[in-house]
Amino acid sequence: MSTDESPPPGDDEERNRRLLDETEYDTELGLEMGRDAQRVSAGELSELEFYRRYHDRIVEEFDIDDREIDLPDPDEADPDDVGFLDRIGSALQGIDPDGEESRRSVMKKGAAAAGAMGIAGWGTAQNAAGQGDGEGGGAGGGDEGEGTRWGMTINLNNCDGCLACMAACDQEHNLSRGANWMYVFAFEDEGQGDETNFLPRTCQHCTDSPCTKVCPVGARHTREEDGLVLTDYDICIGCRYCEVSCPYGVNYFQWGEPDVPESEVDDDHQIDDRGRWVGSRPPEGVMGKCTFCVDRQDGQMGEDKIGTTACEEACTMDAIHFGDLNDPESPPNQHLDEYREGQDNDLSEFPNRKEHTTSTFKLMEERGTEPNVRFVGNEPSPHAEQVEGPVAYEDMGLTDDRKEVLDEGASATQGGESA
Amino acid sequence: MSVDVTGVDRDTLVRPIQTFSKRYLAALAVGLGLIGVWLVFYYQQLRHGLIVTNLSDWGSGGGVPWGLYIGAFIWWVGIAHGGIILSAAVRLLGMDTYQPVARLAELLTIAALTCAGLFILIHVGRPDRLVTSVVPAWPTRVQWSPLMWDVTVITAYFVLTATYLALTIRYDIHRLRDRLPSPLDPLYDALMVGYSEKEDEVVERMVWWIAFAIIIMAPLLLHGGVIPWLFALLPSMAGWAGGVQGPSFLSIALTSAVSGIIIIAAAFRYAYGWDELIPDAVFRGLSQWLGFFSLIFLWLQLQQVITGIFAAPTTLQHATEVKIATPLYWVAIGLVALAMLYAFATSLRPDLFDIRTMVALSVGVLAGTLAEKVLFVVEGLQHAHFALYDGVPGAYVPSPTELSALLGTIGIVVLFFLVVSKVIPVVELHAIEDDHEEVNP
Ligand code: SF4
Ligand code: SF4
Ligand code: SF4
Repeated sequence: MSTDESPPPGDDEERNRRLLDETEYDTELGLEMGRDAQRVSAGELSELEFYRRYHDRIVEEFDIDDREIDLPDPDEADPDDVGFLDRIGSALQGIDPDGEESRRSVMKKGAAAAGAMGIAGWGTAQNAAGQGDGEGGGAGGGDEGEGTRWGMTINLNNCDGCLACMAACDQEHNLSRGANWMYVFAFEDEGQGDETNFLPRTCQHCTDSPCTKVCPVGARHTREEDGLVLTDYDICIGCRYCEVSCPYGVNYFQWGEPDVPESEVDDDHQIDDRGRWVGSRPPEGVMGKCTFCVDRQDGQMGEDKIGTTACEEACTMDAIHFGDLNDPESPPNQHLDEYREGQDNDLSEFPNRKEHTTSTFKLMEERGTEPNVRFVGNEPSPHAEQVEGPVAYEDMGLTDDRKEVLDEGASATQGGESA
Repeated sequence: MSVDVTGVDRDTLVRPIQTFSKRYLAALAVGLGLIGVWLVFYYQQLRHGLIVTNLSDWGSGGGVPWGLYIGAFIWWVGIAHGGIILSAAVRLLGMDTYQPVARLAELLTIAALTCAGLFILIHVGRPDRLVTSVVPAWPTRVQWSPLMWDVTVITAYFVLTATYLALTIRYDIHRLRDRLPSPLDPLYDALMVGYSEKEDEVVERMVWWIAFAIIIMAPLLLHGGVIPWLFALLPSMAGWAGGVQGPSFLSIALTSAVSGIIIIAAAFRYAYGWDELIPDAVFRGLSQWLGFFSLIFLWLQLQQVITGIFAAPTTLQHATEVKIATPLYWVAIGLVALAMLYAFATSLRPDLFDIRTMVALSVGVLAGTLAEKVLFVVEGLQHAHFALYDGVPGAYVPSPTELSALLGTIGIVVLFFLVVSKVIPVVELHAIEDDHEEVNP
C-alpha cells in the first residue's frame, strides 16, 4: 500500500465529521486539517507549510498558549522532522477541556479530535505502509533507528527461575489465572545432563509481527511512537487469529469473565497516551498479552517508571533489562556491551573473529518476525524439554496450565464461576 | 451421456409445492429440533462466554484456540464452493445430464454459506462487534488480513450466487405462476419486478458470464485461495504452511459438495417420487465425479504425508508423524477411499450401483471430510514450531456446546430446503423443457 492513496476520502471523512461533531471543536477546521494532513503524507504539501497554515487557528480554537502546550514555533520548525505531526497530535490529545471529566473520556475525545484531523490517521497510514516494507511502526531495522524502540535484553545466565517476574506482572496487570503474560521456562537440553536452564518469555514485540498483519480489524497494532505491539480492547472481535499466527505462544484470550472486575482497574492503567484502551487485563471475549507495561512507558505511573517494567523491577538477579534499543546508552544495550566486554575474543591471532564470545540470540529469528527481545545465553535446541523448576508456579500463586482453570470454569458456569 | 427428461410434465416439477404430507411435518420437526438443541447450548455461550467451549490458549495454556467451530466453518464453505462450481460447470459446459440437480446445488451453496457465516459469528469472542469493528476497518485492513480477504470474497460470492439464482428463478416463476400458491403472490410479485420475456435472452447471457466468473473465482480464489491461505501463510505452525494446501482444500470442497448434492437429490427423489425427473443416470454420473474428486483428495493427502515424513524439518516431521498416528485421520481417509472404490467399481460393473448405498457412502464422505478439516485445524495448532512448552501439544475434545452447533447448522440446511421447496421449483424448468421453448401456459 502506498501512502499517497490513503487514507481514502469519503467514508473516513464522514466518520471523522461525526466524531468531530461530537466534540466541542470546530468541525470544519478539523476536516480541513485532515485533508491537508493527507496531502502532507502524499508529499504534496510540506510539513512546514502545513504547520504555518494552521498554527494560529489551532491556538485560537483550542484556546491554548505556548505555556500550556508545547507547540513548536512554525518558523523554527524543522521541515524534515518526521515526528512533527505526531507531536502536534499528542500535544492536542493532552488538552483537558474540563477538569471534571474522567481521564478516559477526555483522552478519547482528544484522540477523536486529533484522529479526525487526520493526524493520527496519517500515522496509521504510515504504520500500515511500514508493515509492507518490513519496517513497521517507529521500530526501524537497526539500532540506529529514529525515535524510541522499546525492547529487552534478557540474560539467561543470570536467571535462577524464582518466578518473581511472573508474579509481578500478574499483579500489576490484574491478570486472570493462567494468563501468564510473562512465562518462565525451566528446561533441560540435549547434552547438558540434568542441568536446568531458564528462559523468561514476554511478548517479543516483533518489528515484523505476524499478529498485527493478520488481525482483521486492526485491533492488534504497532504503536507508531515506540514500536509497542498492543491490542485495542475496544475494537478486538476476539477471533484469535493473532494468537494462532504468533510463533511464540504469548497470547492469552479472555475466555470468561476476568478474575479482576472492571471496577477495580484504574483508567490510568488502561488508556494509553493516544486515548486507546490497550493496558491492563483485557475484558471478556478479547485478546490480551504482555504490553511492555504500556502504562509505565506513558508516564501514568510516574516519570521515574518510564523505561521500566514490572517484571524487570521484580527481578533481583539482574536478568531483565528493558529500555530503548535505539539508544546506545539504554540498559538493554549497556548490559549487552558490558557483558560482551568481559568475554573478549582473541583477535590477535584471529583478527576476523567477532570481538566477543558471548552467545546471544533472538527467539526463532528464522521465522522472520524481527523480535525486539534479545537473549544472552544458549538458545534452547528443538530437543529442549520443559521441566519443573526450583520454584513451582503454584508456590507463587500462579497457574501453569490454564486449561485446568478453564475446564473448571466451564463446568461451574452455572455458579457464575470465572476464569 | 445425456439423459432426456424432457418428457416429464410441469406438474411433477411443482409437486413439492402442491403436496403436503406427514413426512414433511416430521422432517420439519427434526430440523427445528436440531436448531432448538443448538440454541439452548448457544444461550449458555452467550451468557458465560467462550469458556463453555473446550478451547484454551496454545502455549503455556495447554489447549488450542481454534477448534470445531473453525473446522466446521471450512467444511461448510467447502460444500458451498464445491456446489456452485458444479452448478456453474453444468451451465458453462452444457452438461445437460446434471441440469435437474443444478438448482439444488445452488440452493445448497446459499444454505452452506449461511452456516459458514454462523460459525464465524459463534467463533468470535465479541460477536456484537462484528459490524462495528469490521466495517470501519475494512478499507485499511483488507490488503493485510487473510481473514478479511475471506470475509470479502465470501460476501461477494454470496451476492453472486444469490443473483444467479434469482435471475434463473424469474424465468421459471413466470411460466409456472398458475401452479404456484396464491398466498405467496406478494413474494412472487417482488421476485418478478420488471420482468418481461424479452429479458430471457439477456439473462441467459448474464448467467453464462456469472457462471464463468464463478468457475474462475471459486477454485482459484476461494477454496483454492483465501480459505487455505488462512493457514498456509502463517509462520507459526508446522503442519499448516505450504503451497499444497490450496489444491488440497479444493479437492475436499469438491468431494464434500458432490456428496451433499447426492444426499439432497436422493432425498427429493425419494420424497416426491421423482424417479423420472432425477433419473439413475444423474446419480451414476455424480458418483463417478465423487470417485474422481476422492482420488485427487487422497493423492494430495499422500503428497503431504510423504513430504512430511521422508526428510522433513524436525517440526514438520513431528506434526506429520502425529497426524498419521491419529486413528481418526485414518477413519477419514478410509471413508473417502471407500466411496472412491465403490464409484469406480460400479462404473466397471454398472449392475452393482445402488442409490441407497451411494447415499450412505456420501454421508461417510461428509463425516470424513469434516473430521479431516477439524484435525487439520486442531493438530496444526498442537504442533507449533516453538515446542518448548510442556502444554504443547495441547489437548482438545469438542464440548457439547460446540457439537450442538454442528447439529444446529445441519438443522438449518434441512429447514432451508423444506421451506424453499414449498416456494419455488427446486428443479429448473429448463431441465424438462428445451431452452427458448415458446411459452403457452
Ligand atoms: S511475540 Fe507474538 S504477539 Fe508478540 S509481537 Fe511477536 S507475533 Fe505478535
Ligand atoms: S483476537 Fe482481536 S486482536 Fe487478535 S486478531 Fe482477532 S480481532 Fe485482532
Ligand atoms: S513487560 Fe510488563 S507486561 Fe510484559 S511481561 Fe513484563 S511486566 Fe508483564
